[in-house]
Order: sequence, then C-alpha cells, then structure tokens
Amino acid sequence: MFAYALRRVVATIPVMAIVALFVFSLLYISPGDPAAVIAGDQATPADVERIRQSLGLDRPYLVRFGDWAWHIIQGDLGVSIFTNLPVSTMIAQRIEPTLSLMVITLILAVSIAVPMGVVAAWKQGTWIDRAVMGFAVLGFSVPVFVVGYLLAYIFALELDWLPVQGYTPFARGVWPWFQNLILPAIALGGVYIALIARITRATMLEVLQQDYIRTARAKGVGQKGILFLHALKNAAVPIVTVVGIGVALLIGGAVVTESVFAIPGLGRLTVDAILRRDYPVIQGVILLFSFVYVLVNLLIDLLYTLFDPRIRY
Amino acid sequence: MDRRSFLKTGSGLAALTLPAGLSAPALSQGAAARTLRFVPQANLANFDPIWGTQYVVRNAAAMVWDTLYGLDDKLQPQRQMVESEQVSPDGLTWTFQLRSGLKFHDGTPVLSKDVVASLARWSARDPMGQMIKALQNELVTVDDSTFRWSLKAPYPKMLYALGKVNSPCSFIMPERIAKTDPFQQITEFVGSGPYRFVRNEWVPGAKAVFEKFADYQPRSEPASWTAGGKRVMVDRVEWVVMPDAATAAAALQNGEVDWWEQPISDLMPLLKRNRNIASDIGDPFGNIGTLRMNHLLPPFNDVRARRAVLMAVDQADVMRAVAGDDDTLWRRLPSFFTPGTPIYPEEGGDIMKGPRNIEAAKKLLAESGYKGEPVVMLVAQDQPITKGQGDVTSEQLRKIGLNIDYVATDWGTVGSRRAVKSPTSQGGWNIFFSWHAGVDCINPAAYTAIRTNGEGAWFGWPKSDTVEAKRDAWFAAATLEQEKAAMAELNKAAFDDVVFCPTGFFSSYTAWRRNVSGVVKGPLPFFWGVSKS
Repeated sequence: MFAYALRRVVATIPVMAIVALFVFSLLYISPGDPAAVIAGDQATPADVERIRQSLGLDRPYLVRFGDWAWHIIQGDLGVSIFTNLPVSTMIAQRIEPTLSLMVITLILAVSIAVPMGVVAAWKQGTWIDRAVMGFAVLGFSVPVFVVGYLLAYIFALELDWLPVQGYTPFARGVWPWFQNLILPAIALGGVYIALIARITRATMLEVLQQDYIRTARAKGVGQKGILFLHALKNAAVPIVTVVGIGVALLIGGAVVTESVFAIPGLGRLTVDAILRRDYPVIQGVILLFSFVYVLVNLLIDLLYTLFDPRIRY
Repeated sequence: MDRRSFLKTGSGLAALTLPAGLSAPALSQGAAARTLRFVPQANLANFDPIWGTQYVVRNAAAMVWDTLYGLDDKLQPQRQMVESEQVSPDGLTWTFQLRSGLKFHDGTPVLSKDVVASLARWSARDPMGQMIKALQNELVTVDDSTFRWSLKAPYPKMLYALGKVNSPCSFIMPERIAKTDPFQQITEFVGSGPYRFVRNEWVPGAKAVFEKFADYQPRSEPASWTAGGKRVMVDRVEWVVMPDAATAAAALQNGEVDWWEQPISDLMPLLKRNRNIASDIGDPFGNIGTLRMNHLLPPFNDVRARRAVLMAVDQADVMRAVAGDDDTLWRRLPSFFTPGTPIYPEEGGDIMKGPRNIEAAKKLLAESGYKGEPVVMLVAQDQPITKGQGDVTSEQLRKIGLNIDYVATDWGTVGSRRAVKSPTSQGGWNIFFSWHAGVDCINPAAYTAIRTNGEGAWFGWPKSDTVEAKRDAWFAAATLEQEKAAMAELNKAAFDDVVFCPTGFFSSYTAWRRNVSGVVKGPLPFFWGVSKS
C-alpha cells in the first residue's frame, strides 16, 4: 500500500503541471487588467501603461509562463501584484481560518448526517424518514448565504449568544476560536449534511436488503448491532466517497461563508484576487486547492481498505 | 435565573474549570475603549499612496504620513509640517522651513532631504505635481530644516497642491523610501503621522492595524480636517474589512465594530432604528456620477450625439437607482462640479434641467448621422453605483433610438477595456460609467475627468482647446472672484463640448456606535479627535 500511496503522490506532479498550465492560460486570456485597478479610477492611460510595464504584464505569454513555472518549480509562488507580499505568506496568513472552518464543518456534517441517514433508512416510509429527506431537500435548496444571515440574526443579534463575524486564532484559546466557527460551520454544513444524509440513506436501504442482514436478524442480533456494525460498515465505501467529493463543495462554499461571516480565509483571498486580477495569488491559491483535492482523493482511496478488506492496492 | 445570568455563570464555571489554554483572553474595559474598530469602504490591498491612488489607500495613509500643509474645512491650505514659508515677490521662488522636533516612526528626524525626495516622487504622479515639475527650475535643500522650490513661472496654487486631500497627496516619507521609483511599490511604511502602521498585523483583505505614535507632536491649533493639531485619543485603530454589507450592519449593531465608514443606503433605516447607533452624511462633498462617452468613435465623435445624451438622461431616475429613495442623499446636477462649494458654477447646465425632451434628442441624434449602429455600453455589475447608472440610462437612451449593446461585466474588465481605442468590433467601447469623489471636483486642480487634451485626457479622450484654455484660466486665477469667473466659463465650455454626462450628485452615510465621539464630516475619515468610552 505504501508503494501505491507513493505512486499516487508522484502522479500528482503531472496533474499539478496541467492545472498550472490551464490556470495560467485561462487568466492570460481572461479580460481585465491589474494595472488599471492599481492606478485607480482617475489615472490616465499613460499611468496605467507605465504600471503594466513595471509589473511585467506587457511581456509575451511564453516568457511570463516560463518565468512563473520556473519559480514554481523552486517552490516560489511569486509575489502579489497588489500587496507586494509573497503569495506563500498570504496563504499562510489565511490557511488557518479556512482549515478550521472545513474541519469543524466536516466533523459536524458527518456526525449529524450519517446517523440521520441511518435512522431514515431504518424508519423508511415513516414521518422520520420524510422529515430527514425534507431536511435534505431544504439543505440543498437554501443558499449558504441565506442560512448564514438567518443564523447571524437569530443567534448573534437577537439572542446575543455568538459573534456575528470574525475569526479568533486557535492560539488565543479553544472557546474563542470555536465560538467564531459555530455559525459559519452550521451554515456551510447544510448542503454537506443533506448530501451525506441522502447517500447514507440510499446505501443503507440497499444494504439492509442483503441476505447477510436477514441472517444477522435471524441470529438474534439487535437493531443497533445490525444498523451500525453490519449495515453501516458495508455502506461505508460510497459514504466515504461522497465525503471526499464533498470537500470540493466545502472549498466552494467556504468562499461564500467566509464573506458572510467576515472570516479572513482562503476563500475571500481568492475572490478578492480574482476581482483585482492579482494573477500570482489566484494561481497560487488554485494550485493549493488542486493539491488538497488530489490528496483528499488519495486519502479516500486509502480509507477504502479499512472498510472493505477485499480492496487491496 | 435568567438567560444572561445563566450564561455568565456558565462562563465563570468554564473559566475556573478549563485549563488556561482553553480560556478566552481577558480584554479589560479600558483596553477595549482604547481600541477603535473601523470598517473601511474597501480593502486596503496595498499601502503606497503614491503608487496606488485608491481612496482607501489615501485614507489609511493620512493616518501614517503627514503632509507639509493640511486642508481645513473651509478648503484652505494651512501649515502642518511647515513652520513658515516665504515666496519671492516675483512668485518664482518658494522657501519652506520645517517645524522642529518632527520625527519619523523609526525615530529618525524629519529633514529637508526627506521632503525633497518625497516631493520629487509625488510630483511624478500627481497632476498638480506634474504641473509644478513642468515649471520647476530646482527643488533643493538649503539646510536640514529648509528647502527651496524655484520655478520658471509663478504657480499661485502651490500651497493648495501641497495640502490637497485628493489622491495622490504629497505625503512625506524618509528619503530612502521616497527614492523608490514612483511606478514601483514601496516596501517600508514609515511616516511621521499621528499613527504608525503595524505591519506584522496586516492581513490584506481582512485587517490593518494602526497604533498611536507616541512621539508625534500635534500643532497647537484645533484640528480641522487634515489641518491643525491631530490629537490621538485612542491607542489603536483596527480596520476590519467586511465585504458583506449585511454582516457589517450586524456587527455594528452588535457592538463588534465601532464605526462603519460607508453603510449602504438600503440598510440605513435599520441602523437608524438602533438607539446605540448614530449616523450622518459622511462626506459633505459626496460624489458625481459619470456617463463617459468615447469621443474617438461614432456616434459620440459628433457633439450633437453627445448633446442628445444630455437631453435624454433623467438624473433623478439615475440617482434613485444609485442612492435609493432617500431624497436627502442625492440631487440633480446641472454642473460638472461639486455643489455647495465656494466656486460652484451652473453656467451652461440648463440642458440637464427640467423635463427630458426625447423628441428633440431624437432629432439631434438623427442630425449627427447616427443610423442605429450598436452602441457598446460597459456596465460593471460588481459596483452598485455603475450598475444603477447603467441599468437606468440604457433604457433612457434606447428611448431616443440608440441601439444599446449592454455589456454586463465586472469592474476589473471595465478597467482594462476602457483603455482600448479600437472600434467596437475590435474590443472598443462607446459608453462606460464611473463616479468621482466630490472633493476631486470642487475645482479643476485634481479633476482629471474634466480635461480635454485628446490623447492625454482621461478615458474617452475628449479634445477641446476651449475647455483646456478655460481650465488654465482657473490655475492662473489669483483671487476668488477670478476663480469663480474661470469656473463659470469652464463649466459652460464643458457642457458646450459635452466632455461627459454627469448623472447626478449623491452622498452616503457614515454610522458609528454612540460610545464613539469626535467623528467629523469630511472627504475622508479622520482618526484624530475620535475617542471611545
């Protein structure tokens, strides 16, 4: 398995190279000009042109790509056009809030959605099942920002239990850190909970009809044992797959959630960079996201072996 | 036991039982009162006020860097870093003496060599600075506290140029920093202003922190805008960037921030209902909406087509889309300049007054030779001000027969596409929207958009020797009466040539918690004299 994992890690290199080429080319052909944004609205065309030259944006595509790629190979993501700070520093400043939000959301979503799906499958056709599926439809349908505003209104403005916005680093204490993440995690987790709950229910329904479940019942295994020891373990592979796919959802959702709750994370950094055409930052962040996504997929593949001993690499 | 008591008890128990690492840091009431949390109008993405001329950069820079002169609320330049100045009888030589005891944040004294280097960098980028540079014989130090600027011709607006609050301002930096190419970003943020920038806490896009500069020596006069004694009443100012207006409103209501620079008008009724929040028009100079036409391409290379646009645009409808139904926030503007200022003119602006004459506009458009070709209108959707202007005027201009090709895009794209001079079939444009801060439009000094020097003019590239001559007359004016006369003629000439179409004058509110005092109306937020209880 170690050899397999190593092969997969090595295989990320060409994937990342393709992503890098794709991202750079897309940004190159997309309209917009960071020099115009830097110069300000009152700047003359000559000022804008001078800034463009000073940033090297007037150089040909191949020269710019070659320069960027050479630095990437050396581990240098470049320097932000606007802040003049290294992209790696900007990512480092922002990674903790995003990582915290994603981890909390992931834990929250899995710990709520899996039992929900299991119970819905167990009570198929009852009001509990319908309620869970109703929640799932709602979770899919209501946009993250609407949920965010509602939560902030109820729990921050009306009840004054939690802060409206912001982020407190973990180093300043667990509760202040957690306090700022509760509402964003619930808002972001809605879609994710809905997705996992539906898949869990569907997979569990299929597994619960298998012969070995009937055998287990015949042997006198209790309901809890059937559901959580026999059925859930066998339903785990598709659920874990969806959890992995959902990481992409989380990355996308984090952009909106971080804006609504004013969390200084990577999502906001990405949006700000795109609006300003801060090319090095956009390229750096997308490379990072791609890398994370590839690693999560690898992790999911490795997790399969835990749940299904028949899978070997 | 009520909910609050329960929570307090719970928190107390938690504090006693949890290990130290799990407890929240205690922030005393005194420390909280000494920190002012401010939501700026935009993200402070860079911090070089000469390289980047966005208003948000200027606003932050005014805390960190001082200027030789400040502008008071009567729009008069007053001495700030300067102790005295002498001008020769022929008006050609200016000699300035610096105040003693001025220090930069790194502890070094402010010397005339720093001033000379700073003015050289500023004058490479600023329109007024460029005018002075064009007249310059030499800019030299006389001694550590004295410098001299000698010119080839008199420049009556010298003190205004050095004190104006239009971006870029002539901020004074240490020589080693000021020697940076004006088209390259500085890497050190050392000033001599009342606050110092805490660079290691700067998270661009999220937070910027400024701390009181203990060695700052305020002038003895009372503060008035950027002039007078800048007395700092808080230890620390935190700029908290909030991209979402609803979140900023909630944070202000909840007391998580103290001052929101520019709340959107839609949320003002909510904020006004909260008795803990005070609000007022923030900037008395407001903003001027702009419909900018491309003078190089048909149909707007013909003044009759441009005039037809003036006849068709109903400013009231545009302003309602931009500023909302609160009529106190906007007004019609039969002028290119900021209303309510001492030399405000309306000469030539009758075409913007009264009911719109659609039939006459159609006739004029036909006379210009327009045959229904597509008119490319660039509308940035991510800027509510440009979107509001575009949505309304596109319909108004369709009524006179213009075949509007509404291009919904973002500001970044407008920023680059508006520089394209090619025909519309090759990426060019006919109309885009913007707005100008009213303080930039009180006179022609920093008003780039009023220029009509063709290729060198602002986007749209209008060319009119008459308008340029009237503008020059203002710079040459030595008295208020001469300035008024020059402004009247300039306004008329600009309407005759239709340099652009003003879409109205609009303001916005600023809102703060009632425990904050000392908030002053002005063209930028001033952080001296502001305290928090």
